[in-house]
Amino acid sequence: MLFIIFVVELYKFVDQFKKQNFMIKITKYTLDNGLTILIHKDKSTPIATVNLLYNIGSKHEEPHRTGFAHLFEHLMFEGSVNIPAYDTPLQKAGGENNAFTSTDITNYYLTLPIQNLDTAFWLESDRMLGLNLTQEKLDIQKNVVIEEYNQRYINQPYGDAMLLLRSLAYKKHPYKWPTIGKDISHIKNATLNEVENFFYHHYAPNNAILTVVGNIEPEKVYELAEKWFGPIPKREVARKEITQEPEQNSPRTDEVEREVPHNVLYKAYRMVSRNHPDFPASDLISDLLSNGKSARLYQKLVKESPVFSNIDAYITGDTDPGLLLVHGAISEGVTMEEAETALNNELAKLTLQTVEDEELQKVKNKFEAVHEFSKTSALHKAMNMSFYELLGDAERINTEIEKYRAVTPREINRVSKEILNKNNCSTLYYHKK
Amino acid sequence: MTHPDRTKQPEIKAIDTFQSVYADKTQLSNDIPIRLIQSGTEDIVKIDLLFRAGNWYQPKPLVAEATNEMLPEGTKTWTSAQIANKLDYYGAFLQTNANNDVAVVTLLTLNKHLNKTLSLLAEIVQNPIFPEDEFQTYIRNKKQHFLLERSKVNSQSRIKFREALFGPNHPYGKILVLEDHDNITTEDLQNFHSSYYRPKNCEILVTGNLKSDTVNQIDHYLGNTEWKKNEYPEIPTFKIQPTSQQEIFTPKEDAVQSALRMGKVLFNQHHPDFMEMQVVNTILGGYFGSRLMKTIREEKGYTYGISSLLIPLVHAGYFVIVSEVGAKVCGKAIEAIQQEIRRFKEEKTDEEELNMVKNYMRGEILRYYDGPLPTASTYLRLMEHNLSEDYHKLMLQTINDIQPERIRELAEQYLQEENMKISIAGQCEK
Repeated sequence: MLFIIFVVELYKFVDQFKKQNFMIKITKYTLDNGLTILIHKDKSTPIATVNLLYNIGSKHEEPHRTGFAHLFEHLMFEGSVNIPAYDTPLQKAGGENNAFTSTDITNYYLTLPIQNLDTAFWLESDRMLGLNLTQEKLDIQKNVVIEEYNQRYINQPYGDAMLLLRSLAYKKHPYKWPTIGKDISHIKNATLNEVENFFYHHYAPNNAILTVVGNIEPEKVYELAEKWFGPIPKREVARKEITQEPEQNSPRTDEVEREVPHNVLYKAYRMVSRNHPDFPASDLISDLLSNGKSARLYQKLVKESPVFSNIDAYITGDTDPGLLLVHGAISEGVTMEEAETALNNELAKLTLQTVEDEELQKVKNKFEAVHEFSKTSALHKAMNMSFYELLGDAERINTEIEKYRAVTPREINRVSKEILNKNNCSTLYYHKK
Repeated sequence: MTHPDRTKQPEIKAIDTFQSVYADKTQLSNDIPIRLIQSGTEDIVKIDLLFRAGNWYQPKPLVAEATNEMLPEGTKTWTSAQIANKLDYYGAFLQTNANNDVAVVTLLTLNKHLNKTLSLLAEIVQNPIFPEDEFQTYIRNKKQHFLLERSKVNSQSRIKFREALFGPNHPYGKILVLEDHDNITTEDLQNFHSSYYRPKNCEILVTGNLKSDTVNQIDHYLGNTEWKKNEYPEIPTFKIQPTSQQEIFTPKEDAVQSALRMGKVLFNQHHPDFMEMQVVNTILGGYFGSRLMKTIREEKGYTYGISSLLIPLVHAGYFVIVSEVGAKVCGKAIEAIQQEIRRFKEEKTDEEELNMVKNYMRGEILRYYDGPLPTASTYLRLMEHNLSEDYHKLMLQTINDIQPERIRELAEQYLQEENMKISIAGQCEK
């Protein structure tokens, strides 16, 4: 017997600021086997979006077997218990799909005309049930992944920079290797047996979040989920404790020389996790530095004193403590040292002076606008709902903005001091030959 | 509990209804045609200004793109930094984009800030001054970006391919060189702006949550009757003159992959066979389950991705297969691609494959209009290419009607692999 454990109506309308933007109404169910289901009824689209987040990323891998989560993402398209190839029936139903693997999760998504939603459930439930792997399929996908590795990381100028930076910034935590894997030999040596084991240890209804956005009643989606996913048994999910990264107490540096057009300076500062109360302030710090053409780094270091030809700062937003990254392409005639000094001086301003209210308001406004723009995309909504649910509560897609509004100039100053500290920084000097 | 029947696919319901999107059409006080589409539930507005001011019209390389990209870098009233600061403060996005044919300036804003951001948009397109110091910064950064782009095999393969197809003096084929960056001045930009950024050469598309006074607001700022009235310059004409090379190889030492392009000049959407060729192209390499993906990626593992495209330009069009393949298997990959094209012409497409592609393409059409932002970009493409609002409805009809025999006929007529040019950049072992 299946029954609903709980149903939460998370809908609420805020008018304390006389705001016109409506909240995203979310209905949540949990099946007996542990599968979480989130539904948002969106009347404005003839397309249904289905997002299936598996709580398995490269951080869950063994140090000597890296890149498996991502290799597995490829194998998930190679046919399941009853369906020889995933794409064919989906395309027959007018659908399209893709997937990505991050350090924290593997996320599958598809869109299709809503009248064919059954096909989406049939496909996704069958590959959660089990795969139909063969040595041949594994060998081919290993090759595809090796070509992906070559295309993205080897054959691109600066393609290996993030790989180098990760292994510098993390010494213990599995974030030290990228999702593609620490060493491509891990992929080359993967056996069918290992890959199958990986599936049953990580792909499970109790380790997944299913989200549907479209013009459909939540009860109908629940019925479909119960029908197709309900019979899949709960599985024992292998969860080892993830080694947390010890504190960093001194600057770290690395340098390389490659056939590239110009010198680039990379800096990675350790910062808090996605659920930490200082996360919104940290995010806004990266926005003050580099969100939009009016941001500090662009105005000061590209326009006013042209040390860099372009510069960017952003955060990784990982579920475990992540990174605030800054990287800039250095202008012709400027040395690496000059560029670094100029950058350090600019970053230090956030730690020495309190940000003006108006400037802080600017990045908050931008955050709010981007949030509003992103709501026009069902896929964005579905992914964000899923990710917030993983973090603890899908409803945060509506409420997170309040945390950003509440950030004060003093907090920005305090958090800047914590993050933008040289003992907290890994620097990569990427020289041209 | 009853177990679902997992052995067969749930019944598929075909997409039988598709409503064309018809915009409201009117004119501003200075006769600029404006089209308005109410779409979506969020309180946002997107305004696209389309100018016939792409590379086709430029007197020298880079002028069209530089004029377009430098519009927000200073006006009679505001400095570059002030403009950037205001736009960011209101959470608005201003995007400039120039291609071979058109130049577009786009504003994406919350409705509540429409007035303020609109006044900036109007100022930027009507009164830019192209300040010398901003120009120097722009060119310096542009050069660095250029060098970065050119160090990628993918970019090398693309420019050499287009040159071979259209010729070195045709705007679609001409290759930009580093020196071009030093040969343009702010005066070139000013002249280009005053010739082409003018009401007579402008069309406006507005999408989003429109209010009763949205048109009036836009007219107030962009309907300015004082905006440029000087003579419109003659539109240049060019002849396609393909180079004699069939195979172009651009070596790059230590490349582990080669970027590959293979194709030929074809036609744009105004050709009677274009829509049907879209179906042919989709089967061959136009979607994830395409024959090229199946063979080159899924069966042989030569690449991470491969696709074929029909690229429509305003004055021409071409067909191209694009991939990055392992250097060691490059020769084999080319053979396998040619083999797939031959198979296409020799064997009739089976009904099941064709039906799958048809359904996939029907779904694609729905996705083109899924929400205000996709709708805006789809509709803007129709405007750029002077196509009817019923274009996708006709496309749907074409998809419904096409038969396997016609597919083979078209492949035979247009996909002669022996006539295709190949451009390879990287290392290629035969």
